[in-house]
Order: sequence, then structure tokens, then C-alpha cells
Amino acid sequence: MAHNGDVHANVPAFVVNAIPGPVREQAVAMGLKDEDCIFSACSDIGLDDGDHDNWVLVTAAGVVTLAAGAGGPPLRGPFGMDQIRKIRLFQAVGSAFLQLEIDGTYVDVAHFSNALRDTFSRLRSHVEQLVEGKPLVDAPGGADSRRCSSCGLPLAGGDESCPRCKGGSGITARSIGLMKPYWKFSLIVFLMLCLRVALSMIPPYLVKVLVDRVLEPRSNVEWLLLFVLGLLAVAVMVMAINVVVGWISSAVGARIGKELREKLHEKLLDLNVKYFDRHPAGGLMSRVLWDVEYFHAFVDQVAGGFLLNVMMVLGIGIMLFYMNWQLALMVMVPIPLVIVGTTLFWKHVYPKYYPVWETQSKMAQHLSGVLSGIRMVKVFGQESRERTRFGETAAKMKSARFALQSSSITFSHIMVFVFGLGGLIIWYYGGRLVLDSRISLGTLMAFFSYVGMFYGPVHALSMFSNWMTGFVSAGRRVFEVLDSDSMLHESPRPAAAPDVQGAIEFRNVTFGYEPHTPVIHDVSFRIEPGQFVGLVGRSGSGKTTLVNLVCRFYDPQEGEVLVDGVNVRDLSRQELRRRVALVLQDPFLFRASIRDNIAYGCTEADPVAVIGAAKAANAHGFISKLPGAYDTKLGEMGAGLSGGERQRVTIARAIARQPQILVLDEATSSVDTEAEFEIQKALARISRNRTTIAIAHRLTTLKNADRILVMDSGSIIERGTHRELLAGHGVYANMVNIQSQLACIGTE
Amino acid sequence: MIMADDVAMTDAGLCDGSIDWLTPENAHVYEGAFSMLCCAVNGAEPVSGVFAIRLFPASFPDSYIALLTDTPGGGTTEVGIIQYLEEFPVEEQALVRSSLARHYHEQVISRVHKVECRNGLLFFDVDTQRGREQFVMRWEYDRAQEYGANGKLLLDVEENRFLITDLAALPAVDKRRFTRHIYW
Repeated sequence: MAHNGDVHANVPAFVVNAIPGPVREQAVAMGLKDEDCIFSACSDIGLDDGDHDNWVLVTAAGVVTLAAGAGGPPLRGPFGMDQIRKIRLFQAVGSAFLQLEIDGTYVDVAHFSNALRDTFSRLRSHVEQLVEGKPLVDAPGGADSRRCSSCGLPLAGGDESCPRCKGGSGITARSIGLMKPYWKFSLIVFLMLCLRVALSMIPPYLVKVLVDRVLEPRSNVEWLLLFVLGLLAVAVMVMAINVVVGWISSAVGARIGKELREKLHEKLLDLNVKYFDRHPAGGLMSRVLWDVEYFHAFVDQVAGGFLLNVMMVLGIGIMLFYMNWQLALMVMVPIPLVIVGTTLFWKHVYPKYYPVWETQSKMAQHLSGVLSGIRMVKVFGQESRERTRFGETAAKMKSARFALQSSSITFSHIMVFVFGLGGLIIWYYGGRLVLDSRISLGTLMAFFSYVGMFYGPVHALSMFSNWMTGFVSAGRRVFEVLDSDSMLHESPRPAAAPDVQGAIEFRNVTFGYEPHTPVIHDVSFRIEPGQFVGLVGRSGSGKTTLVNLVCRFYDPQEGEVLVDGVNVRDLSRQELRRRVALVLQDPFLFRASIRDNIAYGCTEADPVAVIGAAKAANAHGFISKLPGAYDTKLGEMGAGLSGGERQRVTIARAIARQPQILVLDEATSSVDTEAEFEIQKALARISRNRTTIAIAHRLTTLKNADRILVMDSGSIIERGTHRELLAGHGVYANMVNIQSQLACIGTE
Repeated sequence: MIMADDVAMTDAGLCDGSIDWLTPENAHVYEGAFSMLCCAVNGAEPVSGVFAIRLFPASFPDSYIALLTDTPGGGTTEVGIIQYLEEFPVEEQALVRSSLARHYHEQVISRVHKVECRNGLLFFDVDTQRGREQFVMRWEYDRAQEYGANGKLLLDVEENRFLITDLAALPAVDKRRFTRHIYW
């Protein structure tokens, strides 16, 4: 038995592991020869309870599973290719099975962890090709297309960059980078802060001269007023600088906040639908609304807090050493304690920020859910339950905030105490120096002034770590959204826009919301321009997934979706959206006027176009009877209109854009019969000369479709016109019969 | 307000039609060809290729176990539901438990030795029933889910499942290490 690729040099490098000796011996004992084995794979979970590795060997003749070193008969098989009806990966919870359909029953041939899903997915594909007698072709993209090529980490999105290899995000550095466009302002602020620090040095020195030259010797009394005026002038200048720096930092902070919010909003609009499947809307709102606030505060802190304090500490430190280096050293005694305390504080407090954010986000989610579903809450009488749930979240927030703030306050007061110790040392040591006449009283008093000014910024800097932890947490959450690669990437060189005709083609499309759990399998069909095609099938058969792919909310894992002959991946997003319009089962309307809602996808739509679209959608009649007519402001989710009216407005919105492809996903299933009749009339009108895909459970609505595709378990199982399918006595005919019987019951 | 008698009535009502309960009296579970689980109900034709799933994996892991089998169309159909597995003969219990063990591949975490956060990834060093292991998960909300009243289910980058059945049962230091990062 040779390694697979050696023997079958013409076969692509399939799923191959080097077969260990004991497995080879077992295979040879079964009569297999080296050249028989085409490929093989080792699973990481045993089919039996033994500790042996399980190996799946595939030959041209069949499939067998062996337990390495176990001896005896194979664990499963050998199964001849002619015995195998189907092959599938069965996803269990936390692991998966490779199964062969033998005599109408699926038999497990390998059990593996999710880490090996890629490997066995490819093996399944290859065995399928062998069973069907097709030439062996490796899956597009190769085995590692969903993994980082350097570290092997599975990547969440197809084109996502590897977070492990990308390295740290450097939140602080990136935040400072946001200030780059404002470097001129930053320079002005810096220069003004230098001046501010220099001015701050003057008053204590004036105090020293005042005490030593005027107050203690009681001479030069006329200088007193001059000193006071000098102190006043310094205070005025410091105030003026503070105001100007405050203005500039507020202006820059506000601009950065605005830009960041816009960036986040833009990013959220660009992210694919899958991202929103995984991230609750309330949490994302919290990031845009609250976390960005920290960036505004960051600029204030950098300009007015951190930078000023650092400069003050440096400036005053130099002044202290200049005046008396021994006393200055005494001032430094508490500093190591501050550094140690701050480090511990950082470690201790940092994690306490997360629950605060989390509860804040949960509260936003709760409110968003309750307020948007307020009717449900009331109709089910769940006010009390919601009150309790909110109370629980509020209590968690209270606990989280208390834990955070109690730590902060404790730390702050300990620091005040430590600085107080410094003052006592200066009193003792400085007092001795004055008594020994080694320094003047004025020098000691000036020292005290400087020490007050020195410890203030040091304390502020120690507390800066507290603020900084909050900022870093918020920054991480903001950059996580901005850095997310969960997007459907546009081709850097989009294909030249083909003529708008409305042709749709699926070529061997396989797709699953989870990569290894396909929802539709190998689906191929073509819809000619202007055709009306109905999609029917049970719930969960893959109908909506199919139209999601036409709209390119997701990209298929295998195969291609083409619109007017071009792969939708190669079309610019604008170009695709221009061609396709979608009407969903649940009509979604924005809190805006009816006119704005109809013109939503087509901002250039003038009143004539809006009225035209409304007339085509059979909506003009009821709109014109409203007191505000087209200017009527709608409430949340279209409140103020009936279900049928809302749906007609959404249809008007879809056709105002004049798309060549119209997708109707259960567009009439949530309205009453009368409203459905009105909507049907509208749809019949607007689908003329326009490619239309309609998903419907009420099969009568598809009677006149050019073609009907019947889906089941992710595949198209029947296709034809209504008459052809009825004549075929298949699944569709059965569905029609059931609905006819139900209709009869209704009329009896 | 539902009274005790009403509950009994409700159960009876459910048994009448909507739930096919499997009991030791009406169902027999055994191992068939290819080690597949088979189930015979009320003496009818046995169903092969049966597998078991938990209907309440977190709150009632040993009760409400559904037995399913494949349909020719590629879907699954329910053979019935076992309410109390311990009522079945020991060998049948073992077969069902073995099927459950195959279906649910989870590592149960008993100690958390280390959790490090780097580049939006959490690197775990833990003890499970298999011994000491390391795994990496994305530091994202949906990767650590609530499990029962006080448990957490972690999904690593490969979608493998690591389970802490009761957070309060972890040693205090382990719990602190864990909740420092998984705080939700």
C-alpha cells in the first residue's frame, strides 16, 4: 500500500494522510494492493469505544474503515461503490459523521471533530464523484481556503484576515492616529500648554520672594501690591489659555466623535447579513451611541488632562530640584507607592469595566426588544415579567457599577493618604532645614506650593489609568466593528455592466449558513428575462435561501449565481441592487412619510414617479384618502396602516426603482383575502415584462407562472408549469390537492 | 392557575395523541447491523438507523430523549420520546446513552488553569474529562452561550464545544480567571 498521491500521480492531491504501518498491514490482509488506494483520511474520534485511530480508505471499488492496530475485521465495510446510494456528512452536536446510504439506511463510516470537517467534506465530495462515475476534481479553493495560510486558524468570513497573525490593534496608538488630520490644532494646544506650565511656575516663586523679601523682614512694603497684581495677571493668562485649549479640544473631540460615528454607521451598512445574525442590534447601538463618547473624552484627556499633567510633573519636578534637591528627593518618596498602586489598580479594575458595558448593552437590547414589541407585551399581559427582567438587568448594572466605583473611590482615597504622607515628610524635613537656617521660610512655603501642584497632577495621572481602562474597553469594541472583515467583498475590478435584461442563472450552487451544513445542494436552473417563476416547497426547503443568494446577502460556498450572464460577485453592489428589488412577507416601513418610504430606494423619484408606483401597487387609492396623503408620517414599523396597506406601500417602494428583477418572498401570506386580491392585481401588473421570482405557499397565486420550481431539502425536485406539474402527479400535485381539499372544507 | 389535577389531565391529553411516548412496555431498543441503533415500537416493524437527541440538554439531560431516524427524502422523523430513561432495562439505557454520547461531542471543563486574551482571541488552558487541554476561541459574544441555570458553553475556533455545567462549582480562582473575560 503506497501513499495515495504516489500511485495516482494524475489524481489531484486529495485528502491524504500518510497511512501508518498497522493500517497498511490490515489493508494488505484484506487483499488490497498498493495501487488500489486512491485516498484516505484519519478521523479523530473512534467509531467504537477503543483508543485506535480510525482510517477511511477509498479505493476505486469501495470504502472501508479500519481501526489502526486493532486487528480483526474492518470497523465498517468494505462497501462497494455499487452498494453506496448516497454519501453525506451528518452534523451532530460538536462533531460530525461521514455516512453512506446502504440498503436505504445511513451507516456511519467515520466520526470526527469539527476540526476535520474540511477534510471529510472534501472526502465526501470525492467519493460522490467516484460513485457517480465522474472524473475526480478537487473542490475549488482547496482544503485550506477557510483557514489562515500561515497559522491554520479557521477564519470566520471567506476573506477575513487572521486575527492571530494580524497582531495587536494598538488602541491608544490608533486613537491618537485619529487626531492626525488635526495636527495643526494639536500643535497649537501643545504650545499653549507649554506656556501654561511655564506660567504655573511663577506664582510659588513670587510667594517665596514675597515672604523672604517683604513679609518676613517687613520691608519693601510697596512691592506687595505689585506681587498681587503679578499673581492676578498670571491667573488671568492661565484662565485664558485653559479656555482656548478647552475650545480647541472640544471642537476636535466632537469632530472625531462625529467622524467615528459616521465610519461605524458606514461599516455597519457594509457588513454582510451574517454579521447581524450573530450580533444583537442593541449591542451595536450601544457601541455607536455610547462607546464613541469615550473618543471625545479621549481628546479632552489627551489635551487637557494627560498632556498637561505630564508637563506639569516634569516642569515642577525640575523646579523642585532646582530649589533644593534634598527636599525634592523627600517629595519623591510616595511616588514608588503610587506606581505600585496604579499597576495593581489597573489589573484589579480593568476587568470590572466589562460587566458595566455588558449590562449597559443588555439594557439597550432589552429596551429595544420591549419597545419594538410593545403590542405583544401588552396583548400577552407580560408587563410584570418585563418589569422583572428589566429590574434584573438594572440590578446587575447596579452591582457592576458599584464594584467598579467602590474600587475607584478606595484607590483614590488611598492615593490622597499617600500624598498626605509626602506632605508630612516635607513638614518634618523642611521644618528642620528652616530651623537650622539652611533654607528660608519663603523657600519652604514655595516648596509647599510646588508640592501641591506636583502631587495634584501625579494623582490625576494615577487616576488616569482608571479612565484609560474604560477608554481601552470602549475602543476595543469600536475597533472590533471597524476591523470586522465580515463583508461580501466587491471585486476590485467589477465587470462591465451588462445590458439590463433580468436573466438569472444558478450553476451548481451549494450554500449553507454554516459552511459544512448546506441548506441548498448543487442547485442549477436558469430564468429567462421577463419570466415569472414560482418557488414552492415546505418550510425550510431552501426557498428563501435561494432568493437571499440572488440578492447577494450571502455568497455560495460552491457554484455561481449569475445575473444577466455575470457572476454576482463580479457585479458592483450598486449595479446588482439597481437590478433587483425585494418584497418580504413582513412589510418593513421606516418612520417617515409615505412618500419617503416609496422613494426610499430611488431618491431621484419625483412626485409623479411616486404616485405612479403607488398606482401600480394598488396603493394610491387608500393613500390619497389619508388626511396627509403622501405626506402622511408613518409611525414605528408603518403604524397607522393596515397589514395589506403596508404591504402595498412596500411593493410601491420596490417598483419605484424600476428593477428588472422582482423577488416576492411570501408577499401576500400575512394579509387577508381582500387585501391579497388587491396585492395580486398589483403584482400581475408589475410583473409584466419583468423577471419575477415569487415564493408562495398559496399555490393558486402561481397558477399562471411561466415555470414553477419545487424545492425539498435544499434541492429542486420538480420543475415545470402548473399544468405539467399537476399532470406529473408528484409533490406539487399533492400540495395542490391538499390545498384544494382545505379550500373545500372552508366552503362546506 | 394550573392545579395538580389539571397537570395530570394535561399529560393524559398529550399522551392521547400529540406525543409518542416510548416506554419499556411499548418500545424495545437494540443494536442492529453496522452497530446501528434499532427501535421496535408496539411490536411494529423495527426502525433502524435510529439516533438519540436530548430535548432539554441543559435542564433535563437524562430525560425527554427523542429517538429519530432518517426519512427517504433526506429529512428526519421522530420515532418517539423517552421521558424517563432510567425506567428502561440497563442494556437499553446503555445503548441510548452511547447514542447520545456519539451525538453530543462535548468536553466538560472541570478546572480553568489559564485564560489569556490576545488579538481578540482567548487562549484557554483547562482540565476536561480527557485531561489537560488547550483551545482557542474568539472573544465574541456568541462564542460563549448560557447553558442551563448557571452553565456556559464555549465554542472554539473549530466550533468544538467546551462545557462548564455549573460556573459556581468551579474553584473560586478558576471562576475569577474565567469571568474576567467571559463576563456575560
